Amino acid sequence: MQDTISFVLDGKIQRLDFKGAYTPTTTVLNYLRAGLSHKGVKEGCAEGDCGACTVVIADLDGANKLRYQAWDSCLIFLPMIHGKQLITVENLKHKMNGIEALHPVQENMVNCNGSQCGYCTPGIVMSLFALYKTEARPTHASIEDALTGNLCRCTGYKPIIEAAAKACVHDGRDQFTDQEQDIIHLLLEIRADEKPVSVHTGAQSYFQPLTRTQALESRNKKQEAILISGASDIALRVTKRHEILSEIIDLSHVEEFKQFSTENNRMTFGAGMSLEDVRKHAKNLLPALYDALSVFGSRQIRSVATLGGNLGSASPIGDTLPVLMAYDASITLESVQGERTVNINNFILGYRKTDRKPHELITRVSIPKPRKQTLLKFYKVSKRKDLDISTVSAGFSLALDEDKVKSITLAYGGMAALTKRASAAEAFLTGKKWERRVVEQAMELIIQDFTPISDARSGAVFRSLAAKNLLLKFWSETAAAVSSPFSDSDGTG
Amino acid sequence: MNKSIPHDSAIKHVSGESVYIDDMLVNAQLLHGRVVYSKHAHARVLSIELSAAKALPGVLSVLYSADIPGHNQMGPVIHDEPCLAVDQVHCVGQALVLIAAVSEEIAIQAEALIKIEYEELPAILDIRSAIEQNSFLAPPRFMKRGDADAALKTAMHVIKGEIETGAQEHWYLETQTCLCIPGEDKEITAYSSTQHPSETQAIIAEVLGIAKNEVVVEIRRMGGAFGGKETQANWIAAWCALLCQATKRPVKIRLFRDDDQIITGKRHPYLIKYEVGFDECGKISALKFEQNADGGYATDLSMAILERAMLHADSSYFIPNMHVTGRACRTNLPSNTAFRGFGGPQGMAGMETVIDRIARFLKKDGAEIRKLNFYGTETNNITHYGQEVELNRLHILYDQLMASSDYLERRKSVNTFNAKHEFYKKGIALTPVKFGISFTTSFLNQAGALVNIYKDGTVLVNHGGTEMGQGLNTKILQIAAAELGISTSFIKVNATNTSKVPNTSATAASAGTDLNGMAVKVAIDILKGRIAEVMASEFSKKSTGEPSLAADLVFSDDVITDSKYPDRNIAFADAMPLVHFNQVSLSAAGFYRTPDIGWDKATGWGKPFNYFAFGMCVSEVLVDTLTGFHKNLRTDILHDVGDSINPGLDIGQVEGGYIQGVGWCTTEEVKWNANGHLLNHSPDTYKIPSVQDIPADFRTHLLQSAPNPRAIRKSKAVAEPPLMLAFATWLAIKDAVSAVGNHAFEPEFKLPATNEVILLSIEGLRKKTKS
Repeated sequence: MQDTISFVLDGKIQRLDFKGAYTPTTTVLNYLRAGLSHKGVKEGCAEGDCGACTVVIADLDGANKLRYQAWDSCLIFLPMIHGKQLITVENLKHKMNGIEALHPVQENMVNCNGSQCGYCTPGIVMSLFALYKTEARPTHASIEDALTGNLCRCTGYKPIIEAAAKACVHDGRDQFTDQEQDIIHLLLEIRADEKPVSVHTGAQSYFQPLTRTQALESRNKKQEAILISGASDIALRVTKRHEILSEIIDLSHVEEFKQFSTENNRMTFGAGMSLEDVRKHAKNLLPALYDALSVFGSRQIRSVATLGGNLGSASPIGDTLPVLMAYDASITLESVQGERTVNINNFILGYRKTDRKPHELITRVSIPKPRKQTLLKFYKVSKRKDLDISTVSAGFSLALDEDKVKSITLAYGGMAALTKRASAAEAFLTGKKWERRVVEQAMELIIQDFTPISDARSGAVFRSLAAKNLLLKFWSETAAAVSSPFSDSDGTG
Repeated sequence: MNKSIPHDSAIKHVSGESVYIDDMLVNAQLLHGRVVYSKHAHARVLSIELSAAKALPGVLSVLYSADIPGHNQMGPVIHDEPCLAVDQVHCVGQALVLIAAVSEEIAIQAEALIKIEYEELPAILDIRSAIEQNSFLAPPRFMKRGDADAALKTAMHVIKGEIETGAQEHWYLETQTCLCIPGEDKEITAYSSTQHPSETQAIIAEVLGIAKNEVVVEIRRMGGAFGGKETQANWIAAWCALLCQATKRPVKIRLFRDDDQIITGKRHPYLIKYEVGFDECGKISALKFEQNADGGYATDLSMAILERAMLHADSSYFIPNMHVTGRACRTNLPSNTAFRGFGGPQGMAGMETVIDRIARFLKKDGAEIRKLNFYGTETNNITHYGQEVELNRLHILYDQLMASSDYLERRKSVNTFNAKHEFYKKGIALTPVKFGISFTTSFLNQAGALVNIYKDGTVLVNHGGTEMGQGLNTKILQIAAAELGISTSFIKVNATNTSKVPNTSATAASAGTDLNGMAVKVAIDILKGRIAEVMASEFSKKSTGEPSLAADLVFSDDVITDSKYPDRNIAFADAMPLVHFNQVSLSAAGFYRTPDIGWDKATGWGKPFNYFAFGMCVSEVLVDTLTGFHKNLRTDILHDVGDSINPGLDIGQVEGGYIQGVGWCTTEEVKWNANGHLLNHSPDTYKIPSVQDIPADFRTHLLQSAPNPRAIRKSKAVAEPPLMLAFATWLAIKDAVSAVGNHAFEPEFKLPATNEVILLSIEGLRKKTKS
C-alpha cells in the first residue's frame, strides 16, 4: 500500500500526501486553484456542465504511448490522476528559440476572436488541445463533439469552431511531442511502485485497487464503501452537496475491468470501460448504443464515466439503460465467491435500486449481436440536444415475422421511478401487423405502464406525449422508412 | 483605426493569465464569506439563532441585520431592498445572515448551525396572481399617440391576444464575486465584478456608514455580466464589505453557481396583451399593448426596464394610433434586473408576435407585412413617443438581406418540403431590429476619463467603463491610439477604478464605447492642445523663419509634425520630457455628455435616444413534430454598427448576442415550483446554447457604408441590439409548427419555445385538424 499519490505536472513528478490541506476527495480543480501557478483553470459550475475547468490528462495506453483526454477537473478526485500527466492551460505557452510562443490552438483562438470575457477560454483551449493531440484535420462534427462540454456565453461558438479547424492541421505535433519520451519515463517510474494507493485520514478512507482480486477483496471487506471509477456522478455529492464521503473504493485503475472482447456472437464490455471507449467499439457493431452514447454528456464526461457506473447508479433516466434493455444485455456481477450473470431486464429493481448484492461488483456487460432483421433504435428527448439529461429516452427493438410483430421491446427512461418496459403495449403489439393503425392503438397503451412526473425538465403531459410519439417515430422509421432529415449523427432520430 | 485587432486580453485569455477577482493573490489572512438566504418565498422571521455558528472554530464573524452599522439598504433607485432581511423575507434567496470563516468548508459547516424560525405567509409567484391581487411596484406608465380606441372601431380586421415571455438567467461564466481589503481608518478597497463601480462604491459606503471617499472600487475585467452585474453585483460587494469591516481582514465572496442562480434576479418575464387593427393588406392602423412585467420582490431597475419595453413596443413599425400601458408587478421572487436588451426584447417580442399573427390571419408571408409597416424614411418616421427615426436603415437592410438570404426561393422550398413530410416541418422567418441607444434616464448619459502620459511616452488611459468581454478596452485602446497618432503598444488601458474616474454611470445600455470613447477623446484633445503649444514653441526656438503654430501640429505615426514645415518633427516619446520640462501637465481628465437628447417621462414624449441601431435576420429551422426538437438550419444576419471601429469584435458581439437571444427564445427555461423555489438552479437543468445549437449554416455580415454621425468615429453601439435578431429563429419555429395544421390555425405559442411548448402546440393543432 502507498499512502501518497504521484502524477506529472509542469514536467515533474508531484508527490502528494493527505496529511495537510488535501483530502482524498479534494478535486483536481481545487488543488490547482489553491496553488499559485495554475489559476487559469476555472470553476464555472462544479458539476461538469460547463467545462471551464477542463484540463488534459495524458495517460499511458496499453502500448505505453501517451493518450490525451480532456477531463472536467471539477469532478476528478486527486487520487484518480495517480500515475498520469496533468496538463493545464499554463503549460501550453512555450519558448521557441528563446521567444515565448503560443500553442497553435491558442494562436488560432486569438486570431479568430475566439475569446470575449475569457472565463471559459482556458477550458476551451484545453478541449481543443486534446482534439489537436488526437485528431488531425477533424471533421466539423468532431470539432462540435469536442466542444460540447464547454459552454461559452459570449461568442456564439462560431469563431471557436473556426479556430479549431485552423489549428488542428499539424498531425498533433507540438512541444509536447518532443517531451513525450521524458513524460513516459516519469509515468513508468511512478507505476514501477505496484502497491495500490490507500489513504486513511481521520474522516475518510480511500482505496484504489490495481487488480481484479484486490478490487473484489476490498469490496468484500468494505461493503458499504462508495464505488467510483469516473466519479462523474458521485463527485457531485462533494462539489454540490458538500458531503464528506467516508469510505471510497476507486476502481479506475483496474485494467482488468476495461477489457473489450467479442466472441460467440456476443460483445462484452468491461464495466470499467469509459463510455467514450464503449462508444468507439459500438460505432459499427451496435449503432443504437453508439447513438445513445453520442448524446450522452460531453467528451469530458464520457472519457471518465463508465458503463458499470451508469448501470450501478440505476438512475430513472439512465441513458444507457433503455438501449441496453433493447439489446437484451446481460450484466456480470463478481464477488470473492464467484460470478453470476443477470439479464438487464431483471437487474433494475426500483428507484436507484439494482440486483447487485453489497459484496458484488459489476464487472462486465455483454450484448448479443443483434440479428440482421432486428430493428433497434435509441431515442432521446431533451431540452437541449447535447449535454442534457433526457426528459424521456427510449430503446426499442423489433423483430418482424413477415409484416407481423414477432417480438418487441419498448424500454423507457424518464417515465417512472426506474427505467422500464411498456409491457401493455408490447403485449398488444406482439403478433399484430406492424402498421400505423395498430401502432396508434398501442400508443394509447404506453402510458398505462407509466406515471411520469413534472419537474425542472418538463411537465408530465409532455413526457407522456413524447413517449407515445416515439413509438410512432419508431414505426415511421422502420415500416414507413421515413428517414430523418436531421443529420445522422444527431442521435435524436 | 477601424480594423480588426484581437481583444486586448486575448493572449492572456488563451494562456490562463487573465486575472479575475477569484484569481487574485491575497495573503494568508484571507477569509471566505458566505451568505445565508431565505428558504421561503414569503415569511415572517421569528428568530435567528447564531451562537452555535459563531462558536465554531475558524468562524470569524457572523452578522445579521442588526449588525449593519450604516443603512440596511441596497436598492439602486428605490430604497426597497434591505441588505439583510430584518423581520420578513420576500423571496427564496433573500439574504439574512453573513458568515466569514477561514475556509469555504467551515463557512458551510457554520451555516448548518444557524437556526432561523419562520412563519410562512402567502406568496405571489406569477404575473397573473399579482394582477389579481393588485400587487405592483409602482403606478402604471402610459405612452400614447393618436386614438387607438377610435381607430380600432373603424379597422377592417381586429385581432386580440396575449404572449408570454420567460425569464432568462444571465449565466455569466464567472459568478458574482467580490474581494474586500481593509485599509487604515475606515478605508476599504473592493475588487468587485461589477458593471457599475460608482454605484457599488456608493452602496458599500451607505451600508458601512462611511463616506464615499473612503471606498475604492476596482474592476479589471469580468467573466461575463450581460446586465446581471449592473446592480446586483452591489449586493455581493456590500455583504463582503460588511464582513471585511467586521473582521478587519481581507474577505472574498464568490457565489457558488447554484446560489448565484437562486439569489440573483433574471430577465423580467412579461405577459403582454394586445389588440391590433389592420386592413386587408396588413397595414396596421391601431394597436394597444398592455405590458405586465414580473419585477420580483423589489424595484431594482424594473421601472427603467419597463420604460424601455414600452419604448420598443413598436419594434420597427410605424403605427399611427398606438397606446402602450406598462405595469411592473411585485411578486415573491428575487428582484428581476437588467439583462442585455433591458426590456427591449420583451417589448419587441410583443410587436413581432402581432405582425406574425396578422400575416397568418391574412395568409401572407410575415416578411411582406413587416416591410409594409416599416418606418418610412421621409414620412411615417415618427415613433409612438415622438422621436424621428433618423437615418433609417430598415429598407436597405431588408433589400440586401432578402436578396442575400434568397428568402423568397427558400420560402417556396420550405412549403414544398412541408407538403412532402408528415413528421418533419420546416419554417422560415425574417425579423428586424431597431434599438434606441442611450440611457432613457437622460442624465446618465455622461462619462469621464483620465489620461496620463508619462515621460517615456507611454500612456495610461483610465475611463469609467468596465470590461466584461465586449471589447470596450480594446476599442478604447484603438480610439486613444488613433486620436494620439501613436501605436497601441505605447498605450495601456487601466483597470476601472473609482479613485481615478469618479461618479460614473454603469457600463450598460450598449453605450460603453459611445460615452467613454468620447470622454477619452476629450481628454486626449486637451493633452494634444497642451503638447502642441509646447512643441510649437520648441520648434520655433530651434528654427529660423516663421514660427510654428500649435494648430498646425499633427499627431501621426508616433511622430508630432508641423504640417506647414514637415522637417520640424519629433518622435512622440521624445516630446514628452520636453513638455514636462516646460512645466505643462501630461495628465488630463475628459468629460462627455450626450447632447440634444431628453424627453418627458410623464407624458412619454420626446427624444430619449441619441440614435438607433438596426439589424435584420432570416432564420430557417427544421422541427421534429414527434419530439418537439428543432434544428437551426441556416441563419443570415445583416447588422448595422455604423463604421465599425473593430469589425472582428463587432461580429463577435452580433453572433454572440444572437445566440444568447436564441437561448432565451428556445432552451432557456426558468421555472419555480409552487413554493417559489427555483427549479433550474444549475446548468444541469438550465440550458444555455451549446456549440451544437448554433445554425448549421451561420452567415453574419455588417452593413457597409453606413457611417453614424452621432457617435465616436462614426461607429454605432453593438452589445444589446443583436440579441433581438433571435426572433427570426423563434418565429421560424412557430412557422414550422403552424405547418402541422397546414397554416389553417393559429398555434399556441410562447417564449421560450422549448421542445415542450413546441410539442404541446403541435398536439393542439393535430387535434384541431382532426376535428
